[in-house]
Amino acid sequence: MKSTLRPLRPPVSRDRIIASFPKWYTPDACLQLKELFHGQVSSACERRDTGTVGLRLSKVVVVGDLYVGKTSLIHRFCKNVFDRDYKATIGVDFEIERFEIAGVPYSLQIWDTAGQEKFKCIASAYYRGAQAIITAFDLSDVQTLEHTRQWLEDALRENEPGSSIIFLVGTKKDLLSGAACAQAETEAVRLANEMQAEFWAVSAKTGENVQALFSRVAALAFEHSVLQELERRSSARPQVGDAGLIRMEGCPSEAQETERPTSLRCC
Amino acid sequence: MEEPPVREEEEEEGDGNDLGPEGALGKSPSQLTTEDVYDISYVMGRELMALGSDPRVTQLQFKIVRVLEMLETLVSEGSLEAEELRLERDSLRKEVQALRNRGPVATSEVSLGSNKMVVDLTDPNRPRFTLQELRDVLQERNKLKAQLLVAQEELQCYKSGLIPPRETPGGRREKDTLVTRTSNASSNKEEKTIIKKLFFFRSGKQT
Repeated sequence: MKSTLRPLRPPVSRDRIIASFPKWYTPDACLQLKELFHGQVSSACERRDTGTVGLRLSKVVVVGDLYVGKTSLIHRFCKNVFDRDYKATIGVDFEIERFEIAGVPYSLQIWDTAGQEKFKCIASAYYRGAQAIITAFDLSDVQTLEHTRQWLEDALRENEPGSSIIFLVGTKKDLLSGAACAQAETEAVRLANEMQAEFWAVSAKTGENVQALFSRVAALAFEHSVLQELERRSSARPQVGDAGLIRMEGCPSEAQETERPTSLRCC
Repeated sequence: MEEPPVREEEEEEGDGNDLGPEGALGKSPSQLTTEDVYDISYVMGRELMALGSDPRVTQLQFKIVRVLEMLETLVSEGSLEAEELRLERDSLRKEVQALRNRGPVATSEVSLGSNKMVVDLTDPNRPRFTLQELRDVLQERNKLKAQLLVAQEELQCYKSGLIPPRETPGGRREKDTLVTRTSNASSNKEEKTIIKKLFFFRSGKQT
C-alpha cells in the first residue's frame, strides 16, 4: 500500500520512522506536553486522509549568529558527521530529510542560513513559508542567546503570524560543565517562554539530543500541517476535499510529480 | 647627473684662482661668485687708475663701482638661492625615494568617505561579483541540489528493486525478477508506465 502511494521513494530509514509522539526536552519550555498525537491527527493518519501534507516538503529554517553551529547541527542530523573545521555558510544551503510519521510519509526541507551579517540580505529571502523556525545559539556564549530575539524577529517578519512553530536551540552542550550548563539553560528557558518557543540543548559534536530534537520538530510540524489541512478542508469543503483525495489514490505519481516541483521552487 | 656640476663649479673656482684675477672675466655669468666680482673690480680699478685722474674717468669710475656693486648683489643672492634650491631638491629627492619604497600602500592611503571602499585591482581575491549574481548562483545551486536528491532517491529505488529496470537484457532479467518481490510485480509494472507517461509528457512539454 505504501509503495503504491510513493512509487519513486525508497523506504524511509528506521530512525526516521516516528510512531509515538516524541517527547520534549524540558517541560519548563515546550510547545506542548502531550505524549500522544492529536486525536484528529491520528485518526486522519489511520484513514490515510492527510491530504497533501505527506506530499509536500515542509520548510524548517535555522537561523542564529555565525559560528554557533547551525551547519554542524544539520550535518550531524542529516549525515551523522561532525567536521571540526569551521567553514562559513555562503548565503543558504539546505538538506531534505524524509520521515514516516504515524504511517504517513513526511519530508522536511531544512534550510541552513548564513550567520554572517553580509549574507543576511540573501538568507532572509528564504525565511518565507517556514513551518518551523529554529533559532540557534551557543550555550557557552550568552551574547548569541541575546541575539536570538533579533533573528526570530527577522524570521517572523517573513511569515504569517502563528503559522510557524518556534524552537530555541542551545548548541555546543559538550563544552559546558553540568553547573555552567544548568545556568545557561535557565536563562535560555526564560527567553524561550518569552518567545513562545520550545527549548533544546544539543551537541553536534557528540550528537547528544540532535536526533531527538529533529524528531520533535518533524512531529510538531507534521501535526501542525495536518491540523491546518483539516481546518482548511472543513472551511472550504467543496473545492479541496474529494478532488485531492481521488487524484492521490487514482494516480499517485502524478500528484507527486505536480506537487514536488512547486514546493522545491518555493525557495 | 646633478651632482657632478657642483664639483665642477668648485674646481672651476679653483681654476679661477689659478688663472689670476683676469680669469674671472672669462667665466660663464651663471658660474660667477662674489670672489670673481671682487677680482673683476680689482682688474678694472687697476686699469682705471692707469688712465690717470681725468675727471671723466672719475665720473665713469663711480658708475663702474655702482655696476659692480649691483653685480655683487646679484651674484651673492643668486648663489644663496641656488644653495636653497639645492637643499630643497635634495630633500624632495629623499621624499620621493621613501614614497617609492613604500610602494602600493601609499595609494590606499587616499582618504575616502566612510561608505567607500578601496579595491586593489591586483589582488586575486578582490571582491568583484554583485549581490544579484551571488543570489542567482545560489538559486541555481539549490535547484540542482534538489534535482540531485530526487535523482538519488530514484536511483536507490532502482538499486533496491522497488522499480524494475525498463529494458533488461535476457541474462539479467532473471536475476532482477528474483530481487523484485512477485507480489509487487504487477503494481510495479503499472507504476512504471505512469512514470513513463509522465516522463514523456513532461519532456514533450519542455521542448
